[in-house]
Parts: sequence; C-alpha cells; structure tokens
Amino acid sequence: MFDQSGDLACCAGCTGSGTAELIARRRLLKAAVFGPSDRPGRARAADWAAPPHGRAMYPGGVLTGTVVDASPHILAIRRADREERLTMMPSTKAWRGGQVDPTALRAGDRVVVRLDPSRRGVAERVWANISRVTGVIVERDRASIVVDVGKMRGRRVVVIPRRAESRIQVRFPRLEPGYLIDVIGLRHGGIIEGLIPATSQPAYGADQVPRPPQTLGPALDRIGGSATWHEPASEPDDVEGVAYPLLDPETGCADEPSRGLGCVRMPYLSVGSLLKVRNECTGGSRVLPVTGCAAVARLFCDRCVTCGTSPRGRVADLALASFVALGGDLERGCFNATITVGR
Amino acid sequence: MHGMTELANDLREVQAPVLAAMLLGGCATKFSRVLRAGSLEAGLGPTELFPLPLRRPAAMLVCAVECALGIALTVTAPAAARNGTGALDGAAADGARIAATAFFLVAMSALIELRGRRPDVGCGCFGDLSVRPVGARSIARSALLAVAALASIGGPGLQLPPPDPGAGVLLTCLCAEFLVIALLSPEVGETLVRLGYAEPCELRNIPVRHTLAALHRSSHWHRQAGVITSDVPADMWRELCWRYVAYPGRLNGAVADVVFAVQMKQRRPVIRSAVVPRETAAVPGETRAPGAGKAGVDLPPGVVRLSAMPISKAL
Repeated sequence: MFDQSGDLACCAGCTGSGTAELIARRRLLKAAVFGPSDRPGRARAADWAAPPHGRAMYPGGVLTGTVVDASPHILAIRRADREERLTMMPSTKAWRGGQVDPTALRAGDRVVVRLDPSRRGVAERVWANISRVTGVIVERDRASIVVDVGKMRGRRVVVIPRRAESRIQVRFPRLEPGYLIDVIGLRHGGIIEGLIPATSQPAYGADQVPRPPQTLGPALDRIGGSATWHEPASEPDDVEGVAYPLLDPETGCADEPSRGLGCVRMPYLSVGSLLKVRNECTGGSRVLPVTGCAAVARLFCDRCVTCGTSPRGRVADLALASFVALGGDLERGCFNATITVGR
Repeated sequence: MHGMTELANDLREVQAPVLAAMLLGGCATKFSRVLRAGSLEAGLGPTELFPLPLRRPAAMLVCAVECALGIALTVTAPAAARNGTGALDGAAADGARIAATAFFLVAMSALIELRGRRPDVGCGCFGDLSVRPVGARSIARSALLAVAALASIGGPGLQLPPPDPGAGVLLTCLCAEFLVIALLSPEVGETLVRLGYAEPCELRNIPVRHTLAALHRSSHWHRQAGVITSDVPADMWRELCWRYVAYPGRLNGAVADVVFAVQMKQRRPVIRSAVVPRETAAVPGETRAPGAGKAGVDLPPGVVRLSAMPISKAL
C-alpha cells in the first residue's frame, strides 16, 4: 500500500509470500491492460506469461538444506519438511572453503546441491556453508571488517584468516572504510570467514561510481554483463528470483546506498517484472521475477571473466538457488550473462 | 620511380603531425576523464598493472609524456624547424621522433601485457572512450603508430605540397592512413554512439506526481471515477516505458482493482486502463477467459477490457 507521498510502504527487498502475491498481482494487472505481445527480437510472450520458472538448465533442480549425514556414497540432508538422500558419485565435487572430498562434509553444514541433470537423485556439485559479502566497508579493525550490504540486509562482519590474507589483499588492496568489498567464504554463525576475492576491488570509492556509458536509442532489450549471486536475507536458501540493479527510484528501492545510476545503462523496472537471464557460459536460461533491488551491485563496474570477458557492470544479482540452477559455480562468484527484459 | 620516392618522402613528412594529433588527443581525453572522475586513479588502462601506490604517478607520467611528445613533434615538424640551426634543428626533430617510436613500442608491449593479465580492462588510450577490453585492434594500432614514428625519423620537414596531381595522391594516402587508424580504433564506435544519443523512455525519470497529475486529468480517470473507492493508490510500479497505478475499487458490489498504465512521457502520455475483479487473482497464463483472444490477446479470467484510447488529452 502506498502512503500519501507515493512511497512503497511494503519492503521491496523481501522475497516472502507477500512479495510472491505482489508479483502475481502485478502480472495480472499488467496483463489486463496490455496482455503479452510477440515482437521480433524480443522474448516470446509465452515466456513472460508462464510462471517464473522457465526451462531449467538442470531439470533435477537445486536442493538446499542441512547435512544430516555424509558418507562416501550417500549424502543425507534435511530440508524444511523432509529428509532427502542423494547419491554421491566419484565425479561429485564438494566445496567447503575449497575443493574437498565429499566425506569432509559435516552434520549441521548448510549445503546447496546441484543435481546431476542426467541421473535422478545424484549430486553433481555440493557447496557447504558458503557465504558472500558484497558491500561498502564501514569499519575495520585488526580482527574484522564490518560491511554495509544495504539497508534491508544490514551489516555483516567479515574475518579474513591469515592463510587468505595475501590472496584477498592482492585483489582488494584498500580494505578501508568507504571502499567496496566482495568476498566469498565460509559462514560461521553471523560471521563470514572471507577466503576468496569475488572480483577485483574498484579503484574508486563507493561514492565515486563512474557514470554509465550512453547508448544510442532504445536498444535496451538485451543487456550483457556479469551475473552475481546473493544469499536470501531472511528466507530459505532455495528462494528463486533476481535482484535488479535499477528499480524505479520513485517507487522502489528501500535498499538504497546511492542515488547514482551505476555503470550500466539499464531500463527502470520494479518488483514483479520478469527477466530472462541467460548464462553465456553454459547456454542455460531462465525467466525469473525481480524480487528486490541490487543497489550494491550498481556500485561495481567490473567484468566477469568466467568464460571470455563480459561487458562491464553487474546486470543481475541472482538468488543463490537461481544462480546454481543456471549453471553458475558459487565459488567463482559470477558468470557472463545476458538479460532480456520482458515487454 | 622518382615519383614513388617523392611520395614516400611526402608520407614520411606528414607522419609527425599525424602522430602529434594522436598523442595530444589521447592526452586531452585522459585529462577530461580525470576532471570528470575527480581522480587520477580511475583506471587508466596499463596503469592497472602497477602496484597501487605507483598508479597515480604512472598515470601522470603517461599523460605528461604524451603531451610533451605531441608538442615536440608539432614544433619540430615544419621544414623551417627541421632545417634550422638553433634549438629546433634536425637533431631535435629526430630526437622527438625516436622518443615517439619508443613510446609506441612500450605502449604496444604494455597493452599485450594488460591483455594477458587483466583481460577485463580497457586500454584507456583515449580516456572514457577506451573502455572496451584491450583487443588485437588496439595492439595493432600501437604497432602501426610505432612504424609510422620509425618511418618519420630522418624524414624531410613538413611543407605545403605544390598544387599538382602528386598532392592528390598524397592526400589519398593520408586519408587511407586515417581510415586504417580508425578501423583499428574501438573508440570510433563509442564516439558515434555518444554523438547520436537521445534518452530512451525506458531510462526517463519522471516524478510520480507528474504521472498522477496526468492521470487525474485524463478521461480514463473520469470514466473510472465511479468504480474507484480511494484516492490513494493501492500499488504503483514502473516497467520500462510505463508506470502502472492500481486503485482499490468496487464493481457491481464486488471488490476490484482499477489499473491504469501511464506512458513515461512528459507531454500527452498514452493512458490505458482496465478493471480487474479481486477474486480472480490468478497468475496470467494459467487459465483463459472464455471468449478471449478476439484480437489475438488472451485476457486473464475476470478481466474487463475497456475501450481503447491510445492518446490522452490530459496534458
């Protein structure tokens, strides 16, 4: 509901059932005034009318949960409502702060599992306790770094162990307040142990983001760049969706660290808009709803080099499950992506 | 044969101003980028290869060297300077050209190194225009300029050619050289994009109050006034060139939403509207309304399409 000033009173960064209803309602109302259209060069109308799942790269999907037991051949994980038993093959790769043997997984680890698309119930990749902190450094002392990851997600504490110090500092030479940080590591309760730099630190401070390049005409249907991932703030890890860097400033982004446009020219969208996200490295694509704003992603003018070199800037900040379902590897931090905006 | 030698000499003669233009252009665009970014550290190509404390002095050095070489090549280019006996003599001209050759060779090596170590960084040769990752074209351009600088060493001084057919051939060769340089410059495409820029409606930022004012003056609003039960929108969102405003309403005693789509346009925005009964809050595409699809578009169940009114006279 809007207040008198036109501000969105409901939070625009949440992905709960309230947002799901909001998304469904907006799609219905939009269809009422327009209905989908098929225009050359645009995504098919059927893609936008369908529920936001699309053609999955991995039909078996992505599972998230807590490890109950891990053996060389079986991984038992507890999900919200039931226990799943997955087969571990010799080819199954596991990550727990680095590549590990699947038997190194421990009961109680929070895991994200990508299933083998060709074999039912077989785990292809497992990530345990993986976490990521992307934001602006607000405090630093000898032991830890406090990072502002946006108004809706608050602040997070990163600790960089001695073994990862040089690796992080090569890519993030300025671990000082006002500069950006993006690290991947292991979650220990509320603290993140930063182990891998997810990108190179921009040379500019968070308040000096370059202006986006100007583009000719309305050629904004397909935008190339880097797709990253984030952990859902207060929702289960398997929530799907995409945080979009440029929500309508008039009605939208509670998670607002800066009023700048960021470094990619992107059209304005809102929560509930549909995006087709294509992983240029695997060829997989999905239609996902915008579930929040990626205000921090706007501050990064980096490129993804997972396969070739992507155009500059982050175009989508995917929920963890969506990133994995699209074939992304969480420890790499990004994949080269092209987004197509639904009409 | 004599004509070819003369043409070659004439071409060598014009290389100095061509190189000077490239160097001064590079320096000016870098300086303009620094002025806009407010910092010398805003990622100027190969300076990214240096440790952080050295990037700023390296950027300053590159800019200063380009400026100095550009000026030196310009002032030593004329025949009077080339054949002079003072500070500007043949040795000074050759010195500037040797330095330019060395500069472009170093630049070429730096770009090769940058491409290998930071494939995501642009060369920064022409400031903001050189944001694309370093490719073979940028490297080839540096090589071409190094060859041009090398060829100009020991060349004659610049003077106006006599008005004969030879001048036409020289001009054609010069144009061909500029064309090759342009083909090897990713910055040309970037410049063309910027020159033709007009803000598309997807990027236009129009205040909500403007949208609401346009809506409230429209005939669509007056037509739906009997259905709308509150002046405060229940929801408002933006997608691309449209802002959607939904109001709570009541249609035949049942709760409904009245939704308006207002085009993101300063003057005479197109406005469309529809009334959607609340009990049909289904996801479009799952079911279809009976009889829908007359115009090739399926409506969700319960959706009442109002008469089309493409242009509002609201503003």
